Amino acid sequence: MGGGFRVLHLVRPFLSFLPEVQTADRKVPFREKVIYTVISLFIFLVCSQLPLYGIHSTTGADPFYWMRVILASNRGTVMELGITPIVTSGLVMQLLAGSKIIEVDNNVREDRALLNGAQKLLGILIAVGEAVAYVLSGMYGSVGQLGVGNAILIILQLCFAGIIVICLDELLQKGYGLGSGISLFIATNICENIIWKAFSPTTINSGRGAEFEGAVIALFHLLITRTDKVRALREAFYRQNLPNVTNLLATVLIFLIVIYFQGFRVVLPVRSKNARGQQGSYPIKLFYTSNMPIILQSALVSNLYFISQLLHRKYSGNFFVDLLGKWKESEYGGGQSVPVGGIAYYITAPSSLADMAANPFHALFYLVFMLSACALFSKTWIEVSGSSARDVAKQLKEQQMVMPGHRESNLQKELNRYIPTAAAFGGICIGALTVLADFMGAIGSGTGILLAVTIIYQYFETFEKERASELGFFGF
Amino acid sequence: MDAIDSVFDPLREFAKDSVRLVKRCHKPDRKEFSKVAVRTAIGFVVMGFVGFFVKLIFIPINNIIVGSG
Repeated sequence: MGGGFRVLHLVRPFLSFLPEVQTADRKVPFREKVIYTVISLFIFLVCSQLPLYGIHSTTGADPFYWMRVILASNRGTVMELGITPIVTSGLVMQLLAGSKIIEVDNNVREDRALLNGAQKLLGILIAVGEAVAYVLSGMYGSVGQLGVGNAILIILQLCFAGIIVICLDELLQKGYGLGSGISLFIATNICENIIWKAFSPTTINSGRGAEFEGAVIALFHLLITRTDKVRALREAFYRQNLPNVTNLLATVLIFLIVIYFQGFRVVLPVRSKNARGQQGSYPIKLFYTSNMPIILQSALVSNLYFISQLLHRKYSGNFFVDLLGKWKESEYGGGQSVPVGGIAYYITAPSSLADMAANPFHALFYLVFMLSACALFSKTWIEVSGSSARDVAKQLKEQQMVMPGHRESNLQKELNRYIPTAAAFGGICIGALTVLADFMGAIGSGTGILLAVTIIYQYFETFEKERASELGFFGF
Repeated sequence: MDAIDSVFDPLREFAKDSVRLVKRCHKPDRKEFSKVAVRTAIGFVVMGFVGFFVKLIFIPINNIIVGSG
């Protein structure tokens, strides 16, 4: 880069155009933070239910079906894009900064402002790009059917919603709320999905007449209306293609397992060099990268699915396209396709024990892929996100912290004994739990449950810290 | 044999490191586990039902909106 020119400076002219939330200039009381968080959540939820105006139909195959869990998006609504724009731009900026393609000095205020501006700008551009892609791809009926006016209207609605999400997240991040908007929206979307599947009052007509969608509602309904209680019970516990009680129990089990493993950590003692040797500890969790491996793995798989379905639709029969994946309409309707061949098939969870026995190579391949991908993503993520042993050692040094019994120069070496292993092994555990959850038929998918539990766990940690500092505040 | 060793050695080393890590880990006891489980469950249910009721409320609203559209 010649003469101090830096990529980030390209963003400067755009800063004044970007919508921005002012940083909180005073300490926002805890109660106000809760209120802001709840309001943001409601805005998001309402947008998730508002239907898009002008769409012709949403009955076509949904290429994003697999991705909606982790991206808090809802088909046919204003929140179709979900948090995709902001997550994607966040990941891209993180990768660029982490791999030094963009130089950022976090000690310089301007650099931080430019980085934020760049991320926001990128988010908006992605929202526009995705909205256009959605419309042109015929997601809402062909452009010919929609008409140019409606097409533009739809694009504007999607972009506007994308910008709302970006602003809501910024509001929470800038100190007005608790935690990050992204996590809040993902977790709520997943929890809602699970509760809905347990208690949904909607009915669906199957071969045996109308059935309630919700597993718990169906259980009581069957027990009340059927004369043969035993068969009713079996039906409630094992019925196919609708949520059943076994699914619900599996969900609870995965929930408990995840919480247990969340508690695993290596506690390293640290001491402050000044402040009279104030003692503390630095915990390294088994789930060191939290839910990041599963997000990245899901994103990878979802993108592969999307590309594969797109190609299959246009070039079915081509050797390489078939190698990537073959698709057919799901027997249960709902508009989604299921992979039946190629790489896409082998990286999809076997649907049952019978399926597993019929094709053991598929099961084995899926398992190895899942665990390997999670471990690799986890290990890579610590480097990219600035939480590797080297980065942590640097942080502790800046905070004048040392580890008793170790020379300062050995701090990084000591951390290196734990952090990379925790990242990789933690990633494998995450992958294994996801596989277990999917295999057991847990509601909301293994990915979703893991995400929701780890996010809620983090929320409670944030909660505790906020309350502690609040009380401390009064204490003075 | 060397080829196989070169593949399995890193895996063996990693497995050893992982086992050591797990042994060194502080693990939650029953009390700690229960406390976290209850809290997380509450958070889960609160979030879930907030979303659930918004959705429930919007079903009739959406029927009106889409019906008139």
